[in-house]
Amino acid sequence: MRWGMVIDLKRCIGCYGCQLACKAEHGTPPGVYFARVLKHEEGNYPTVRQLALPVLCNHCEDPPCVEACPTGASFKWEEDGIVDIDYDLCVGCRSCMMACPYTNRYFNDQAPQYYPQGMTAFEEARTARHQPNVVMKCNFCRDRVRAGKPPACVANCPTIARAFGDLDDPLSEVSRLIKDRGGFTLHPEVGTGPSVYYLPP
Amino acid sequence: MSETSAKYDRLIQDLRRDFRPQREWGEGRGLFLVIGHFLVGVAAGAWLFGLLFDYLPVLVAGFLLGGAGGLAHLAFLGRPERFWKMARRIRTAWVARGFAGLTLFLAGAGLYLPPLLMPSWPWNSASPIASLGWLMAAIGAAVLIAYMGFVYSTSKGIPFWNSPLHPVLYIAYAFRGGAAALLVAMAVLGAPSADAIGLLLKLWIGITVIVIVLFVLELQGAWSGGNAAARRSVRELLAGRLAIAFYGGTLLIGLLVPAILVSERIAPLGLGVLAAIGLFSALGDFFMKYTTIRAGIYLPLKMRSLR
Repeated sequence: MRWGMVIDLKRCIGCYGCQLACKAEHGTPPGVYFARVLKHEEGNYPTVRQLALPVLCNHCEDPPCVEACPTGASFKWEEDGIVDIDYDLCVGCRSCMMACPYTNRYFNDQAPQYYPQGMTAFEEARTARHQPNVVMKCNFCRDRVRAGKPPACVANCPTIARAFGDLDDPLSEVSRLIKDRGGFTLHPEVGTGPSVYYLPP
Repeated sequence: MSETSAKYDRLIQDLRRDFRPQREWGEGRGLFLVIGHFLVGVAAGAWLFGLLFDYLPVLVAGFLLGGAGGLAHLAFLGRPERFWKMARRIRTAWVARGFAGLTLFLAGAGLYLPPLLMPSWPWNSASPIASLGWLMAAIGAAVLIAYMGFVYSTSKGIPFWNSPLHPVLYIAYAFRGGAAALLVAMAVLGAPSADAIGLLLKLWIGITVIVIVLFVLELQGAWSGGNAAARRSVRELLAGRLAIAFYGGTLLIGLLVPAILVSERIAPLGLGVLAAIGLFSALGDFFMKYTTIRAGIYLPLKMRSLR
């Protein structure tokens, strides 16, 4: 089994719902974005359009971050292909950040709150599990997935632009979408075999 | 505005850019990584040159510089108290190999040097323990010289560093740093012979020429054969935010001033001039590492790359 995600760029409206849902689910500190949305305008007035590109860890089949990690903190779960971080092993050398061709890893050295007034009780509960001075990244909401739920960004997408499923199963929704709609990955030339696919806008 | 909020604001600005500069290696605490790489490079080069010229003071200097380089690496790490875990992935990670190399070097030098410095030491310099130390230190030094360039060239996120020339350049710079350390040591503490200084100077000139050729080839390759991020890095280096450090540090201090001193246009080649050549050369090497590391630009996730 290999978990994967398909993001339909035609459906995505760039509402940042995925980014906020991820923040709420993981309580990531300022400066750490497991999911984010890039926006780009193209064309000339009046023929212009705005494109949104949601990005997250690509959970590569051949992850260069895992190869670069000197401690084994970055690793890939054999049973589902999710690339994860064991925060107890991370020494904060940041070589994985340099190895990731998708720039989806963040070093957590910020103060853990957004507002000078301090953290709310919710924020405290959410951020308590995060270690400072280690690298953090998306883990496809592995706890949710193991409990039979979709990742938070998938569950919260108001336009159902995201699909989540088993890439190894040719009958799964993600495999079907990739095949029927010409799904593609970012930077295929790097040869990492991403598990996040995009459908053309 | 607090430092934390300024850093956060800068990150947000960086995330909006097409070409996001890497800031983790080379800025803030990341500067310790540059210092660490510089020191262990010079240390390993100095050790090998010390063995080649059979010159004890520079072996001691190499050992001390290696130790200082290790401390600089620790100062860079986010969780230095876990440093020992870095040996776990020696089969795949160049950082782990570097850690193993530094450990081997320091341990080996720690076994080899004491009997040379203190005749009453429990084992003598011809003993199996000292021989083992010699071998460990030599292997460790070779690993240290090689590993740094590979750490960068295997970083797929930074196209500018992805050149196969990068490891070769770092190896050449380590040798140049070793020659510079030996020049300074011989100038200050005295040379074993006049011939030794002449030979060393010729070696330094030869390595410097190789370094210049490799550096030009690397820049040319990134500019003509690299992608947009690699070209942007070259622009940052030659005409962007790092231009002053590059021209002033790498070229002027590291190449031009030593070249003028070697040509004897200012003063004859006395011991003071030799020491100055070594110091300027080493300082230039530091700026080379600093500027090429800081010039790293992440592979962009641009919408234009979508088909």
